[in-house]
Amino acid sequence: MVSLLRPFIAASWHGHRNDPDLPDAVRTVWREKFGRQSGNGPGLRGKQSNVDLAVLDAKGNLVHWFDGFRRMGGQSFPNGQRHESLGDYTARELQKATAELHLAGTPTEEHPLKLPDPGRSGMRVFISLLEERMRAYRAPVVEAVNLTRNDWKPLAYPDREKNIEASLLKKWLSQVYPPGVMERTDPQTKQVYRISRIKGNLTLEPAGTFNNMRYALLTGRIILTDEGPDDFSYEGDIEIVLTYSKTRSMPQSLRGIFDGIYPRYNPTNRSFREIPLQAAFEALPMVDKNP
Amino acid sequence: MKKFLAFLALSMLAMTVIGAQTSEVESALKRYAELRPGEKDLAMYRIDWAPSLEEAQSRALKENRPVFLVIIHAKYGDLSSGHC
Repeated sequence: MVSLLRPFIAASWHGHRNDPDLPDAVRTVWREKFGRQSGNGPGLRGKQSNVDLAVLDAKGNLVHWFDGFRRMGGQSFPNGQRHESLGDYTARELQKATAELHLAGTPTEEHPLKLPDPGRSGMRVFISLLEERMRAYRAPVVEAVNLTRNDWKPLAYPDREKNIEASLLKKWLSQVYPPGVMERTDPQTKQVYRISRIKGNLTLEPAGTFNNMRYALLTGRIILTDEGPDDFSYEGDIEIVLTYSKTRSMPQSLRGIFDGIYPRYNPTNRSFREIPLQAAFEALPMVDKNP
Repeated sequence: MKKFLAFLALSMLAMTVIGAQTSEVESALKRYAELRPGEKDLAMYRIDWAPSLEEAQSRALKENRPVFLVIIHAKYGDLSSGHC
């Protein structure tokens, strides 16, 4: 799928039909989509998602569009297939568009991996919600958090075991949330509730020396609570390795994980399902070697 | 002799502790390696995202390339950063 997108410049747009400044392409897509009684394509039976995918040519003309989530009856799958993955469906629709575009001369080589940049002393957090019923949520999301020297101070090298209140690390621990899940939103603003509180008594302890590098371990359980009115919380364990030079107390690198459970609310049967939520943390530069 | 045995016992205890800590570090780094997504899992970050539709269209015109547009019918949502 990603290789099919190599010639394209991708962009994401969000909004509503009554927005005053709808881009032309969006206006056209929605006019066609909502103007059709039966929805987008055969067998759709009026069902549609809130995600549409569109292809524009270099001059901005709409070439092709399709609903982001296939909503076809079984008889509508190509070549008599009984199933079609979302990836295959998207690729098939994209190929319809590329057939109409003149792509000779557009780049087809692989683009470099561009992860969000946390700056020189910042942190990257890779989060995955291991949801079986919605596999797209398993795709990792990378958050970049810019950090200052003050943010690192609680993690100064410990001469002996000491306790650290997790709230001191809120700036980056608060990124551990399922970014693709929209159920925890403010009903007025429709914005996702942010993490407002983090609790936990963590332990930071020296963990030996290797290759002239000192190691420390940060471990413990944290509880994250969002800013919603119902004290919604979830929790998990963290296990983090920090390295230090022999002469400086500030960490040189950080690598570790969060392993927890996110209780996802199911409004249909008004119950919660426990879904594993995992994250990996890494702070740059990674200058150390394994012990 | 007692002092020597006490010293030996303490030294051995220290060695055990250091060994245990190294093993804990190795175990934590192993877990990190397991959970940290690899390049294949991060393929979405190989897509040539523009920060806005306007910028995508401006670049498309200059570079003579098509635009792939994700339209989300909602008050917020930015697929380029993974926030649906």
